[in-house]
Amino acid sequence: MNDFDLIVVGGGPGGYVAAIRAAQLGFKTALVEKAELGGVCLNWGCIPTKALLRGADIANTLKHAAHFGFEIDTPKLDLAKLVGHSRSTAKRLSQGIEYLMSKNAVTVIRGKAKVTAPFTLCVSTDKGEQSYRADHIILATGAHARDLPNIKVDGNLIWGAREAMTPSELPERLLVIGAGAIGVEFASLYNDLGSQVTLVEAANQIVPVEDSEVSAQLAKSFRERGIRIHTATTVNTVEHHQNSVTAELNTANGSEKITVDRVILAVGISGNIQDLGLEEIHADIDRGFIKTDPFSKTNIVGLYAIGDVAGPPWLAHKASHEAVICVEKIAGLANIKPLRKDRVPGCTYCRPQIASVGLTEAKAKSSGLDIRVGRFNLNANGKALAIDESVGFVKTIFDAASGELLGAHMIGAEVTEQIQGFCIAQQLEATEHELADAIFAHPTLSESMHESVLDSLGIAIHQ
Amino acid sequence: MSVITAVTMPKWGMEMSEGVIGNWYFAVGEQVTEEADLVDIETSKIINTITAASSGVLRAIIANTGDTFNVGQLLGVIAPADVSDEDVNAFIQNLSGQAAPEPEAAPTSTPVAADKSPAETTSVQAAPAPTPASSLGALSEGGDDSEVAATVIARRLAKQYQINLNNISPSGSHDRVNKEDIEAAIRAAGGQVERPATRVDSANITRDDGAVKATSVARRLATTLKVNLLDCRASGDRGRVCKADVEAVAARRNAPAPAAATQVIDDTPEFSEVAMSGMRKVIAKRLQESKQTAPHFRVNIDACIDELLATRAQINAANKHAKVSVNDFIVKACACALQKIPAMNIQFTGDTIHQFSHADISVAVAIDDGLITPIVRAAETKGLLSISSEVRDLATRAKIGRLTPNEFQGGTFCVSNLGMYGIKSFDAIINPPQAAILAVGAGEQRPVVRNGELAVATMMSLSLASDHRVIDGALAAEFMHCLKGFLEQPATMLG
Repeated sequence: MNDFDLIVVGGGPGGYVAAIRAAQLGFKTALVEKAELGGVCLNWGCIPTKALLRGADIANTLKHAAHFGFEIDTPKLDLAKLVGHSRSTAKRLSQGIEYLMSKNAVTVIRGKAKVTAPFTLCVSTDKGEQSYRADHIILATGAHARDLPNIKVDGNLIWGAREAMTPSELPERLLVIGAGAIGVEFASLYNDLGSQVTLVEAANQIVPVEDSEVSAQLAKSFRERGIRIHTATTVNTVEHHQNSVTAELNTANGSEKITVDRVILAVGISGNIQDLGLEEIHADIDRGFIKTDPFSKTNIVGLYAIGDVAGPPWLAHKASHEAVICVEKIAGLANIKPLRKDRVPGCTYCRPQIASVGLTEAKAKSSGLDIRVGRFNLNANGKALAIDESVGFVKTIFDAASGELLGAHMIGAEVTEQIQGFCIAQQLEATEHELADAIFAHPTLSESMHESVLDSLGIAIHQ
Repeated sequence: MSVITAVTMPKWGMEMSEGVIGNWYFAVGEQVTEEADLVDIETSKIINTITAASSGVLRAIIANTGDTFNVGQLLGVIAPADVSDEDVNAFIQNLSGQAAPEPEAAPTSTPVAADKSPAETTSVQAAPAPTPASSLGALSEGGDDSEVAATVIARRLAKQYQINLNNISPSGSHDRVNKEDIEAAIRAAGGQVERPATRVDSANITRDDGAVKATSVARRLATTLKVNLLDCRASGDRGRVCKADVEAVAARRNAPAPAAATQVIDDTPEFSEVAMSGMRKVIAKRLQESKQTAPHFRVNIDACIDELLATRAQINAANKHAKVSVNDFIVKACACALQKIPAMNIQFTGDTIHQFSHADISVAVAIDDGLITPIVRAAETKGLLSISSEVRDLATRAKIGRLTPNEFQGGTFCVSNLGMYGIKSFDAIINPPQAAILAVGAGEQRPVVRNGELAVATMMSLSLASDHRVIDGALAAEFMHCLKGFLEQPATMLG
């Protein structure tokens, strides 16, 4: 006999959304979580870092208050309070998930899950083990930060994301290894809070997945803020001292030694596939992630995988969306389509912010597409000038033949709140003409989106 | 501020990419005042006039009347008289170079000649005038009309329909003859004006897919790839045709046919290729078109034909030459029903409904390599005997291919009968421009319930397919009810 219709393993933005959707569709649903509900995203990722970055924004605003006529003595940061705000925000949201689980009558099982056979899950808690049977088991176990072979997070001098978002004191000198979204966010945060930051990236540009123009703009802004950037650089060795680290950087111009107080390691993630019993039941694994079909089915009957553990892009909203698609497909709803990975937007909350969706210009060109590109600089946008945030631009890439929006790349103030406009356009398959015909309110930062589209047609008004 | 002013092709609206040069109101060398009407431009949508942006002498006209220019291209130059010709020429050289951003645009030195859109011009000139010039008789008479003020489109239309502009009274701005004047005159003379020439890039798309729900990207891509949206699946959100659907059709069309054939031959049973006859192609095309453009719906009814069969026996017994069939009764009954419900006695061209006074009944006849629908004209005026002999004659000649076109073209309603094969009931496809077709099944004895008692009656199933664009369900139902009445009580057809 089945204990549940559907069991979700992992309570992050993939797992808890899957559980709620399943409950909505009438499945008797359970969710297994070994730690906090909400997963890394909510407890140790997206949300707490945004709480900290708000602090960084305030620090920056205070620094520029004089520009708006406010004379303020050098503000003093109580780091514990900022971290406290971040932690309490995470806690509050985690409790919110708990409420949602009970509201939707999802049974929450605290413990570590292991798939022991098809349709069978064994959950171990401190009270012992218990087996559950369900028609459908969805693995949403997420991912964890990777170490480098020669550099490992020790929680003391070498920080992972967790340590980096719960500092007890501000490191004076900080080395951030890895300039992906997480790396540049921490670099931006600690720079704003007052640390001397060095950012190292193995690829040829920081934020390597972003359009090269966006990357160049971010590098320029970072350098102006005093962040040292080394691209095409790896870290050879780290030498641990009492309260500092000496790292040997292998740059294009030879090796260089720097001594810092702390190191943040942000070199990517790998899937949480360990101890799930996947090997024993011969689930297909591909480069550290569970292999699935477009509807998140694994090669094992009744077993599904969604979110980070099922491969890139490793983004909370991708996990949530995949969760809904997976569950609705299981429920047999009509017209369910697989997730379009080329329509998953990506947002990075460094300063200036980055938001993008779809193809970069380089990628579009290398795919042999005939494209039309529009650009608009924020320094010609009234609202951006009014709030003194005129660094950045909006770049749009359209397919010349069909007018399809292939990609949008934004860097600047609040672009993360604006990218959804382009996502909607893509989802509706709007052409540049519909976007050009839409009325954007004045004065807004989003007018730059409009102007960028107009520019792709050669008719931008304000530049 | 430059003293030399460029007159360029304006952009009136997002869709405008080019315009046709109309009349210049000034000649080169004439003084132009600011905001004076300078030159007429005609786009596919509007006719409008460019006004002079500044006062000065019209120094050069680059764009001659009738030529097509891209948006932004230089049309002429206004400059004060004291500016030297060299300066004006340099200005023109400079600007016409910049003003040709499109790769296919003209080289700088010859902006005028190469900028014509030859395809479009050809298509318009080649378009046949649906109304022969002869029927417009008087309109074509008269002397040289080259001095008559007229818009370019009006002049082009006049040429197409062989109309002398001297015969047209102008209503356009500046007392010019415009397109509407020509069309009004053609209509007044009893002629027909064809719809505006379709755009060149959609020339291959004959069926109107304007009503198909599609995403904007899909619609534009369909135009670019010359794919008709009616041929596409609609797999997008909310049942819309999306980009992938259009690309799938294009890919299928572009798939190398020989390669596909080889592949098929490898693992398919032996077959022989049968050439498509001309008639087969016409049937394929027309019926596909009908099924895709006309929203078919069906209403079914059963009629008891015992009384009909008795009447038929009486008629055939009374006249030794008579061989009246059940189908003849149906033709007659349909004609009578169409007279009672004239809203069903129609043809639909996609724009207008033509409602006819006589019921011209097409009768589907199976022939060797297809089928043909000879017509019993004004069937409501004919008796059963004459309908019977006419249908027999038409069917016989149809089978040996001796029908004249007017014997099978037209018709206001169609009857298709497969009863002789024992088919109980079936669905038929409307034969456009007709708007309905009756599918007739076999008369057969069936148990029926009458006043609570089980009885045996000869019943016939009738299925009417109608084009819902012009026939609604209630109308079709009313027609069927009426038809059933005539069939069950054949004597009422005499009334």
